[in-house]
Amino acid sequence: MLWHIPLRNLFRNRRRTLLGLAIIALGTAMIYAMLGYVDFTLYNIRQGTVRQFGNFQIASPLLWNEKTEKFAYLIQPETLKKVTDILDKQEGVTDYTQQLTFSGLATTGTKTKVLRSTALVPANKALDYNDIVLTDYKEHPEWNGKGLDPTDTGKVLIGRTLAKELQLKTGDFFTVTMTTVDGAYNVGTLQVKGVFSLNNEIAEGQLVFLPLEYGKLLMNTEGVAKLIIKVDTLDHSERIATEVQEKMRAAGLELEVRTWEQLAEFYRQIKGFFNALFGFLMISVSALVFFIVMQVLTLAFLERTREVGTIRAIGTRQSQVFSMFFAESVMLGVLGSLAGIVLGWALAQGFNSLGIGWTPPGAIAPVPVRLSTTLGNAWMPFVVTAIATILSSLYPVSHSARLTIVDALRTS
Amino acid sequence: MILQTQQLSKMYQVGQEKIPALRGVDFQANAGDFIVINGPSGSGKSTFLNLIACIDRPTTGEVFIEGQATSKLTESQLAELRKRKIGLVFQSFNLIPVLSAYENVEYPLLLLGVSASERKQKVMGLLEEVGLKDLIKRRPDELSGGQRQRVAIARALVTDPKIVLADEPTANLDSETGKQVMVIMRRLNEDHKVAFLVVTHDPVVTQYAERTVKIRDGQLTEETNHVVAHTAS
Repeated sequence: MLWHIPLRNLFRNRRRTLLGLAIIALGTAMIYAMLGYVDFTLYNIRQGTVRQFGNFQIASPLLWNEKTEKFAYLIQPETLKKVTDILDKQEGVTDYTQQLTFSGLATTGTKTKVLRSTALVPANKALDYNDIVLTDYKEHPEWNGKGLDPTDTGKVLIGRTLAKELQLKTGDFFTVTMTTVDGAYNVGTLQVKGVFSLNNEIAEGQLVFLPLEYGKLLMNTEGVAKLIIKVDTLDHSERIATEVQEKMRAAGLELEVRTWEQLAEFYRQIKGFFNALFGFLMISVSALVFFIVMQVLTLAFLERTREVGTIRAIGTRQSQVFSMFFAESVMLGVLGSLAGIVLGWALAQGFNSLGIGWTPPGAIAPVPVRLSTTLGNAWMPFVVTAIATILSSLYPVSHSARLTIVDALRTS
Repeated sequence: MILQTQQLSKMYQVGQEKIPALRGVDFQANAGDFIVINGPSGSGKSTFLNLIACIDRPTTGEVFIEGQATSKLTESQLAELRKRKIGLVFQSFNLIPVLSAYENVEYPLLLLGVSASERKQKVMGLLEEVGLKDLIKRRPDELSGGQRQRVAIARALVTDPKIVLADEPTANLDSETGKQVMVIMRRLNEDHKVAFLVVTHDPVVTQYAERTVKIRDGQLTEETNHVVAHTAS
């Protein structure tokens, strides 16, 4: 292979080569930046989702299938003990907690609101809501408070929207009314210990967190709705969940595992949307690179028609001509794609330094918009645009290699 | 015998019409010959050269290179034959622009897979013979027309071909440079004992020929033997 010839030909017409490189680099940088945005956004949603759901949850199939009549789905203490024994021995499980959820009505005397109550072990490490409690909120200092601790009984954490609508502040009391597992009405008094922020207006208007034992008391049950499990690494969620499921089945427990990804329909929808959008943009950019580079290469090879005739006449085989021109295209593709990764990285750094944020629908405060710049994100844009360039060269390269010598030599 | 043609014909299809460019040409060339093929524009001399250079295929007839019939050879066999047995010199020099004088001459040896040391020895030897020893690093656009044609002659000879075919080698040169090029070709013909076949319509070139063949209307019409007057500048 005569490598020095394609390499020199690559820089023979510098302006045209730079145009080709610029197109490939821009395409690569665009794909890299888009991928960075998708990656960062999905990472944030994933982290938020895992914080909300744990890595996986265990509950009765009745609950998962929304057959919630008469609270038959509740996991009773005897079963709970068997499950926690399995979890205690399971490698990779770092923490777990229990949760009981119920609906009710909150009344302050003048106003009433529907609640979705989550009763959980205070300050547990698997699903700790204490870190979203406002402690230094300048706009409403009366909302600043503390998280729940294991000694709390009739204390509750409420969302900002609920606090606003019921005109509650830290230390205030309100009444909650609900139906117990036996179907009887029950009324309890709750004291606001803190106000939390989830950056989601609907959630902040309905959710409340209270201690598990107090929730059981209000519901008149010893059972819990589900167990929420945290594992050492997000990537291990699926594997550990499967192992736990198998062990529960072996122990004769009729409980089912759901991973965070199965539970988070929102995440799946967002991921599907981003994948489709990214795929569409990637195909569009690749097609653009393909056609422009094909034009550039066609012109570059066309002006060398007589040269092809000459080298063929002095004994260069068609396959050797093909190799030389193809090598030139590969070099162009690889150099352009590499330049694109560097360009994309630099642009992403610049963009990130601007600190831009936006407020999604339903959110109260803006969320940061960033472009992930990991090396792991580089290979796909690199490969995609390099392949687009190489494919775009196939027609002009094979056309050049198949030229008739006499006709090629006649070209002026 | 290095080269022989038998009833060589070439027809070109122009629309519905078939135009004969060459009509049943019989021709022979031996080792060490210096032959000039002369004829007006459109007489068929370039067609004849293309056919014996094996870069075009005849409509009928046969070209033999060292007794080997070429009409049935595949493209890659023809490429192999051209690489080893035929040297080509073009009117417009046709050097590879991105390569230096040295690399242009070296190129055919790379195709043959010749070792680096042998390549260097052959290339330097030939560039010295054509008087370009000091310009080996120059690219074609840094050389004069005469210098470029001398590089092309060195390239044609570097593989020790059996025959060198030159198509109007002086057409793009001034008369003095053209004479210098012809003198070099003539000298190399004698030194290397390689046959030269020069196609031209320049009457000056014929002064260097041992044999002059005239082509008119696609046929060999006349053959004259010359006593060569110029072998040195």
